[in-house]
Amino acid sequence: MTDRGPHDTAPPADIPYRLPWRSSNVRVGTHRGKLEGAGGFFRDVVPLLRSPDPRRIDLRISARDPFEGLYARRFEQKTSVVVYAIVDVSASMGFRGSADKMRLAAQLCGALAGSVRRAGDAFGLIGCDAVVQKDLTFLATRARGSEMEMLSRLRSFTPRGAGSQGFIDAAGLIAGRRKLVFLISDFYIPSEETEKIFAAFAHHDIVPIVLSDSLEIERLPRWGIMSLTDLEVGRRRLVVMRPSLWEAWQRRSGRRRAALRSIAARFGRAPFEIQDRIDWDRLGAHLVGGYA
Amino acid sequence: MNLGFNSPLVLLLLPLVLLPVIFAIQRAQGYPSLAAVETDTLSRVIDVVLHLSGVVALAALLAALAGIHLSGQTVERVGEGSHIVLLLDRSSSMDDTFAGRPPGDGEASKSAAARHLLRDFVEKRPHDRFGVAAFSTLPMYVLPITSQRDAVLGAIDAITRPGLAYTNVGLGLSLALSMHEADPTAASRAIVLVSDGAAVIDRRVQEKLRAQIAKRPVNLYWLYLRTEGAPGIFDPPGEDVPDTPQALPERHLNIFFQSLKVPYRAFEAENPKAVADAIAEIDKLERNPIRYQERIPEVDLSKIAYGIAGAALLLLTLAKLAEVQLDGGGHRGERASSSVTATRRAAAISREKEAA
Repeated sequence: MTDRGPHDTAPPADIPYRLPWRSSNVRVGTHRGKLEGAGGFFRDVVPLLRSPDPRRIDLRISARDPFEGLYARRFEQKTSVVVYAIVDVSASMGFRGSADKMRLAAQLCGALAGSVRRAGDAFGLIGCDAVVQKDLTFLATRARGSEMEMLSRLRSFTPRGAGSQGFIDAAGLIAGRRKLVFLISDFYIPSEETEKIFAAFAHHDIVPIVLSDSLEIERLPRWGIMSLTDLEVGRRRLVVMRPSLWEAWQRRSGRRRAALRSIAARFGRAPFEIQDRIDWDRLGAHLVGGYA
Repeated sequence: MNLGFNSPLVLLLLPLVLLPVIFAIQRAQGYPSLAAVETDTLSRVIDVVLHLSGVVALAALLAALAGIHLSGQTVERVGEGSHIVLLLDRSSSMDDTFAGRPPGDGEASKSAAARHLLRDFVEKRPHDRFGVAAFSTLPMYVLPITSQRDAVLGAIDAITRPGLAYTNVGLGLSLALSMHEADPTAASRAIVLVSDGAAVIDRRVQEKLRAQIAKRPVNLYWLYLRTEGAPGIFDPPGEDVPDTPQALPERHLNIFFQSLKVPYRAFEAENPKAVADAIAEIDKLERNPIRYQERIPEVDLSKIAYGIAGAALLLLTLAKLAEVQLDGGGHRGERASSSVTATRRAAAISREKEAA
């Protein structure tokens, strides 16, 4: 890893995101929607009686009809979506190794909020651990500048809770039309619970963002004694690291990632892993094209 | 075996030994989730060992500071032996050889020969208790009856110091007998008189000696280091010599001893070999059951305690040296650990809020 600080990777002006589904939102926006309207995309042709807009009569189709019916073209109305960032703020996110996970999360949310607002979509942020944190609950809004308050609160938040029940409660808060939901967490969550969380958000388009730190696993020293304290549970454990244990940790971490991938695959997109710093280009590519 | 402490007040600090159970020597480093990583038996064992060695180090240090020791005690045993007072002649003639002249090259003085053999005698008889008295013109109280072997050997060694003056057996014997009187235990008693000559014993002293011996009977051995040409103990008097104590003090001392009605043997030794034989003979004769007190000395355990503490601390130091920070260098590890405290502090605040 190159030794670059977080300031080196300033977020781009916009994070591109494309929805592979049609939003049923009624608000005009930039995404393909289910509604017809004055958009540019041709959608279908229906009898004029169903879509009584004589300006859009399609002469060719109408002339071809043996029953001499009149047909009108319909176009897709570009719609907006609601984007939510559900941020895990449990104590494990307080880990500061190569990077500060909460800062990464705030950075990501900041970039997302800016892009989403510029795209005309609504952005909301919910921080949750065992419960939904009231200080960090911002329902989706298009209000300009709203992200400033979100981000400052997120930056100054000290993660302390334990658990992940809050995710499921957060799913209740954002129920309704299909939304784009970024699940930002380190995903140190047991796989049954991870599955429950994904199931709770299954109605939405879930983009799991895994915040990891190379010091957690990959850059662990191979030899030495460490006294590790579980940031969530507070339990202390002495670890006598040696190559065999190191390998075991790597394998375990690989299994954990694979489990998360398989769960995520069942519910939508593949997880995107942010390690130590945010690679904006990769993130953009993932959001535009990476649809599992 | 019972433990004792010189300053038991230090033990009031003993609850402190629980500190290493609560605290680890390693700096706590935050880690997102330990549930997600492999458990490791070796690590757990080492963890327990390190905590225990912390406890052991503190406990051993406290014990050492409190002056831990095994208290001394005396044990009564039954063995073979006697209480023997060695009555040594310190007259100046003892410095001469058996030939009656100052020792030359390779020659041993009478005192040196006696010393050598008496040392053997003392060392051969482990259960005996010895007292040492010396006499010259006046008796010298050297060592009461004791089981301190080193002191006895030291006193015997001292007989090779240059001699003093004349021989006054009577007062010396009286002193040796009074040493026996001062020793209250019931044991077989003996006096080994080592001298190279005799003198007339005053009649009053003779009476006193008889009274003392009647009070406390002892076995009497006289090891007479006979100088060449000197009159023997057993020799009948020559025709031209009057048979008086003044003329033949040795012969008459022998007669006096025989008249004491206690077991008595006299040995006439004219050379070191004869001295050895005589001492072997005494060794054979003095074989009576004896109850003796064996003193088990106090054993200072604080050195061992310091050693244990040192070993435990060394182990802890090694463990501390083997400690690694998660990022392998300074400031970031500090931040990682500070996040642990920040988390705890924040948790405490949130608990307070909930309570309020």
